[in-house]
This record gives sequence, C-alpha cells and structure tokens, in this order.
Amino acid sequence: MTLNEWIFVGLFLMAGWMLPVVPLLLGYWLAPRRPNPVKKQIYECGVQTVGSAWVQFRAQYYVFALVFVAFDVELVFLFPWALAYNKLGLFALFEMAVFILLLVVALVYTWRKGALEWS
Amino acid sequence: MFEVPGLGDLNVAATLPVTSLVLGTCILLIVDLFVPTDRKHITAWLAALGIGVLLVLALLALGEITEFGDGEEAFSGMFVADAFTDMINVIALITALLGVMVAYNYLERTGIQRGEYYVLLLFATAGVMFMGAAGDLVVVFVALELLSIPLYILSGFRRPQEASEESALKYFLLGAFASGFLVYGIALIYGATGTTNLHDIWQAAGDIVAGHKSGRFLLLGGAGLALVGLGFKVAAVPFHMWTPDVYQGAPTPVVAYMSVAAKAGGFAAMARVLASGLSNFALDPGEAAVWQDTVWLLAILTMLLGNVVAIVQTDLKRLLAYSSIAHAGYILIAVAAAGTAAVADEAVQSVAIYLMAYALTNVGAFAVIVAVERDDATNTGLDSMRGLANARPWLAAAMALFMFSLTGIPLTAGFVGKWFVFKAALAADLIPAAVVGVVTSLVSAFYYLRIVWLMYFEESEVEVSTPWPLAWAIGVASVGTLLLGMLPYILTDMVREITLAFGG
Amino acid sequence: MEITVEAIVFLVFSAITLGGALQVVLTRNLFHAALYLMLSLFGVAGLFVLLTAPFLAGAQVVIYIGAITILIIFAIMLTPQVTRVLKVHHTQWPVALALAALLFVGLVWTQTPLADELGADGWSADFTVEDPADVPADSLTDLGKSLVDPERYMLPFEAASLLLMAALIGAVLLVNRPDDNPDAEAAPAAGARPDQSG
Repeated sequence: MTLNEWIFVGLFLMAGWMLPVVPLLLGYWLAPRRPNPVKKQIYECGVQTVGSAWVQFRAQYYVFALVFVAFDVELVFLFPWALAYNKLGLFALFEMAVFILLLVVALVYTWRKGALEWS
Repeated sequence: MFEVPGLGDLNVAATLPVTSLVLGTCILLIVDLFVPTDRKHITAWLAALGIGVLLVLALLALGEITEFGDGEEAFSGMFVADAFTDMINVIALITALLGVMVAYNYLERTGIQRGEYYVLLLFATAGVMFMGAAGDLVVVFVALELLSIPLYILSGFRRPQEASEESALKYFLLGAFASGFLVYGIALIYGATGTTNLHDIWQAAGDIVAGHKSGRFLLLGGAGLALVGLGFKVAAVPFHMWTPDVYQGAPTPVVAYMSVAAKAGGFAAMARVLASGLSNFALDPGEAAVWQDTVWLLAILTMLLGNVVAIVQTDLKRLLAYSSIAHAGYILIAVAAAGTAAVADEAVQSVAIYLMAYALTNVGAFAVIVAVERDDATNTGLDSMRGLANARPWLAAAMALFMFSLTGIPLTAGFVGKWFVFKAALAADLIPAAVVGVVTSLVSAFYYLRIVWLMYFEESEVEVSTPWPLAWAIGVASVGTLLLGMLPYILTDMVREITLAFGG
Repeated sequence: MEITVEAIVFLVFSAITLGGALQVVLTRNLFHAALYLMLSLFGVAGLFVLLTAPFLAGAQVVIYIGAITILIIFAIMLTPQVTRVLKVHHTQWPVALALAALLFVGLVWTQTPLADELGADGWSADFTVEDPADVPADSLTDLGKSLVDPERYMLPFEAASLLLMAALIGAVLLVNRPDDNPDAEAAPAAGARPDQSG
C-alpha cells in the first residue's frame, strides 16, 4: 500500500470518529437547557444507578484477557501467512499446522485446568 | 513459490537434541493433565527420564561418538550445531536433571507439587539450548525469552507465599525491562549491518571497520545495549540489583536451577553475539574488539561488588546470590579475553569450562540448602550450617567440597575453571582483571570457608531431610566437582573443539 | 527544506505519540494513563504506516491497542482502589530528564552521520547517495513467506509458539488457582457491580 491509499483509511477513521461526536455536539448546540434534579441524573435505561462506575473487576477477567492476548498474537502471525498462502507450498501448511498444534496443546491445558470456566 | 526443501537440506537432524526436548515437553504437558494430583511423581520421573536420554545423546555428540545431521548449520544458519552447542547442551541437561532431582521432594513437602514445575523447567532448558545454538539475533532473542518466562513463573511457584510472589514480580519487571534493552540493541545492530545473521553481521562489521563507515557508531550503540540486556541475565554489576531479592524469595530448588541455567544461557548468547558476531568489531582494523574494555571493566566491578557484599550476608541464599554475581564476574573476564583475536578460542573454551564447573558446584550447594530448609522456607540462615558435620558428616563433606570449589581451591572443579579463565586473561593482556580476579578469590575464601568452619567447629542441633533424589543429586554434583577437579583433562577434552570466531 | 504531506503527517503522528506518552507519565489517574497509552500507541501505528510497514501498523493496533492495553486496564480495574488518585512526590524527575536528554542526544549523534552518509535531506528524506531498495508493493505477502520459509525465520517462528505456550501456562498457573480459596477474590466485587443489562 502506498501512502495515498492510506487516505481512505484516514477518511474511515475520521468518519468513525465523527459518528459519535457529531450527534453529541448537535445535541449540545441545539437542545434547550432547562435542568432539574431528575433530568440531571445519569441515564441508565431508566433504572436507578447503583454505586460508582469505578468498581473492582473480578480476577477471572484477567485470565480471559491473558488467554486472549496469547491467541491474538497467534492471529497476527497467521495473517501474513494466510495472505501468502497461494504462493506457499505444502511445507508451509505443515509448518503452520505445527505452530497451531503447539498452541492447541496450550489451549487443552488451559481448558483442562478449568481456566475457561466461569465460576 | 519457493522450493519445497527436503528435511535433509534443512539439516533438521542437527537440531535433534533441542527439538526432541521441546516435543517431549509438549507431550509431558498433556500427559500431566491426566496424572492425578497425588501421583505427580510420574511426571517427575518422565521428565527425569527424558532429560537422561537426551543427556546421554548430548554426551555422545560432545564426545564425537555420534553426529546429529551433517555440517554445523541448520535452517540456513539460524541454528548452529558446533562443539559449543554440544557443550552448552550437556551443561543445560545436567543442570535440568539435577534441578528435577533437587525439586521433587521439596515440592512434595511444601505442598506445591505440580506437574507444571517440570514442564516449565524443561522449557527453560530448551531456551538455554537454543541460546547456545543461536546463529541469528532473532533466535537469541526468542531463546532468551523462552528461558526467562518459565523462570519468572517458577520464581513465583510458591504463590501465595509473599516472598515468592515478590521475587517473581521483581524478576519479571526487571527482566522484561532488560529484554527491551536487548531488542533495542538488536534493532540498532540490524540498522548498522542490515542483517540479523551473526555470520553476515561479522562480514558487515568487517566492512564497516575497514571503511571507517559511520555505521560503526550505530553498531557500537547496538552492541552496548545488547550487552546490557545479556548482562542483566547473567547478573553482572551494575545490572545485578534483582539477584539477591529474587534468589532469596524464590523456592530454593528453583534458585538452584535458575542460578546456573540463566548464567549458562546468558553467557552462551554473549559468547555467540560478542565473540562470534562482533569479534572483528574494532574502532580501528587489527585492534582488539571494541567491547573488550567495557566487558573487563564490568568484570572487575562485578567481582568486587559480589565478593565484598557477600561477606556481610547472613542468609545462605542471599550469600550465594552475591557469590553468583561474583562468579559472573570471573566468566566476564574470559568473555573480555575473547575480544583479542589471538586468544579468542582459548577464552571461549574457558567460558565453557567455567560454566560446567559452576553448574555442578552451584546446584550442589543449593541442594544442601534445600536439605536444611524447613517447610515454611525458614532456616536458610548461616546458623543452619552450624554443627552439620557431627550430625551428617557426608552432607557436610559435600557442602565443604562445594565451598572449596566456589573459592577455587585446587583439586576441585572451581579451581580448574578459574585457572583457565585467568590463563586466558593473561594471554589477552588483561592483567588488571586477572589480578582483581585472584585477589577477590582470596576475599571470597573468607565467607565460603566461614561456612565450613560453622559446620565443623561449632555445635548445634540440626534438622536435615535428605530423601534419596536429593541425596543423589548432591552425590552426583560432588562426585562431578571432585572428578573434574582432579582430572581436568576431562574438561579440556570436552572443549577442545570449540571455536567461535568466524573464518580467520 | 520543503514541507511535504509526509512531513505534516509525520509531525501529527509524532505529536500524538509524544503527547500521549507524556500524559501517561504526568497523569495521576492510573486508568487515564492507560487510555493515554492507547493514544500514544495509535500514534506509533501511524508512524509505521508512514514507513510503509502496514503489517506492523496492523499488529500495533491489534496487539498493543486491542490486547495489551485492555490487559493493563483489566489489571488496573482489579485493584481494590481503582480511582484512588495518587499524590506522588517525586524528587528524581530532574535525573530522569537529564538521562532522557542524554539518550536523545546520543541517539541523534549516532544516527545523524549515518543519515548524512546515505544522503538524507530534510523532511523529504530523499536518499541521494545510496537508494535503499524500494519496499515491495506486497510486503505483507513477503513477510508471510519469510515467516514460514525454512531458509529464513521458520525456526524462531515455531519457537515463538513455544513462548506463547509457556506464557499461557504461566497465566493459568499464577492467576487462576481454583484450589486456593476461590471466595477471597470474588467477594469484594460482588455487591458493588451496577446493573449492566441496560
């Protein structure tokens, strides 16, 4: 990709950024402002909010995040391989099979140890 | 579409020791899942058996009785299978075997018997072996991480014990930081030479030096940063800060293994990168390599700090931590000597000799600490040695032998190691480093022999547990220490073929 | 020295990277620091694009922004006092500043002669003396090829998968230990979580 082609990526990012920002700004500019205590409450589907948003997460999220990182890295390795797939021989398929198999071993381990159970 | 290479072209057979270790480890990981918690001795046995078989193969390869693959290169120079590789393989596997034997009963009695221990230990061993065989900076880095990550985890193996957790965290944070230095160094070296292959780097460095190209500053920066990263792994001053805390907090069998494995891996990589890839990198053609001065200065600092601070330690694990810093200093002298082209081979051989001697001695010394340590990780103070000779004469004799060897008293392996290191230093005209080495060895006698004094000339109640695997580990280590000390030609024969410098 | 489009884009992304990094260090709220880190890493991804390294840019977004910072945020949210704003009195910042400046000068000092030797000129980085080889149009495919090419990076590639495996074992072993009192870690969060169905 040359730099010019990245202009589209840049435009896409801009559009994505504007999608939430523009309505917020429009609301800010156009809406009449007559606050009262009920209106000023934080909106959460009509339900009263409970406590602070700054809560402590459960430690189990972390295991999932860690497992996710490992497989995310694997995905990044897979991507260029998949792009080059047509130009590669059978040997490359075998190699990737080894690569994935090693991670499957890790996955089996994780699974058997119960790290994927939500308790 | 590239040619589909045959396995013969890749010379996969040359990588057999390490690849079969990796394969076996993966199988062990799966097998261990089906081993019930109260029968983890099966995992330990399988691990020990696997290491044993590979050790025999590695010894055969070292003795040139069998040959894996043909030629010294595999994967087009990524993997180097020369005499140095064979030697590091043997050191790594001996350490791993002793590590399993030392750990088994300790894990049992402290209630942390888990199969992962052995799997991680084997992964770390594979990391050491890859480092010894690295022909490319990328392999050096991946191998370093493969060595380090299991060690971080093993340090925290006694979770939720606080000291163990603290040790793992400190090791991990500082270790990750040091890896960053290494990667940055690799990037700069790549920037200067346009390659990560050590042989190509050697060629490019020759051109850069001959042509006085400005790339040499970049290469200098890269070599410096790589030295920082590897210096951390081997605990060289001033990158040693983590060592005492990590050694004190981590489970003792882990320290027994780690103190040797991390050093073997780190120095193997240092030898490959400096003495091989950057061996001709001098600021002017024909001079000694530019990193030589830095390395011997580091060596002097390391020996001084390690030995002097060790004197005031009252905890055995901490004392041996400073002692291990000091020993990194002695090996660094040999690495520095490798910067002089004429003595490069001799210097690298002395690195290998020292590592072998240190492996047996140090694992043995930590194994004795494992024997006296209580289940709650206490009783590792100097006092625990008091009166050991009366209660357990053989154990005390072994410990005395290890202490003599660490001091470098003749007829022990440690003496042989120091002898060749100092010899290489003198041959390379590094006289200050050699003098400091000899003087600090004398200083070290003070704290090593104090332990011997406590064992033989003081009285106290002792409680010791030496189940048979531990006893055997201590036995093997002490016999090895004595044998290599009395018959040094075994060691010199082992390393005779080692030559790391590229083609003349 | 002419100002090209590349130069402007470079300046914008550098500003994002450095500004984000500065805020990571300066902000007193750990959570905000993680968000600024994301911003900084995004800037780095942009710089990779400028260097015609689309794969690195993608990896930067997927791994660093998508996974690592999320992990950091989780780690922050796991601590009992997520919002406690730290009042850190640091006295060492002049030393740190001096060291950073020293490093910067050192890097510039080593790189400048090299760039001169290559004939780089100003923003446009026109290499007049030795043209570096053009980046091939399908550098991604080339990368895929060299990763699995046994003559290139196959060995470290497979070793990397071992590395991931060791890391996974460590993650499971150190974080998830169902056998030592599972109640202890779950308890404090239970009451405080707001209704998330909305």
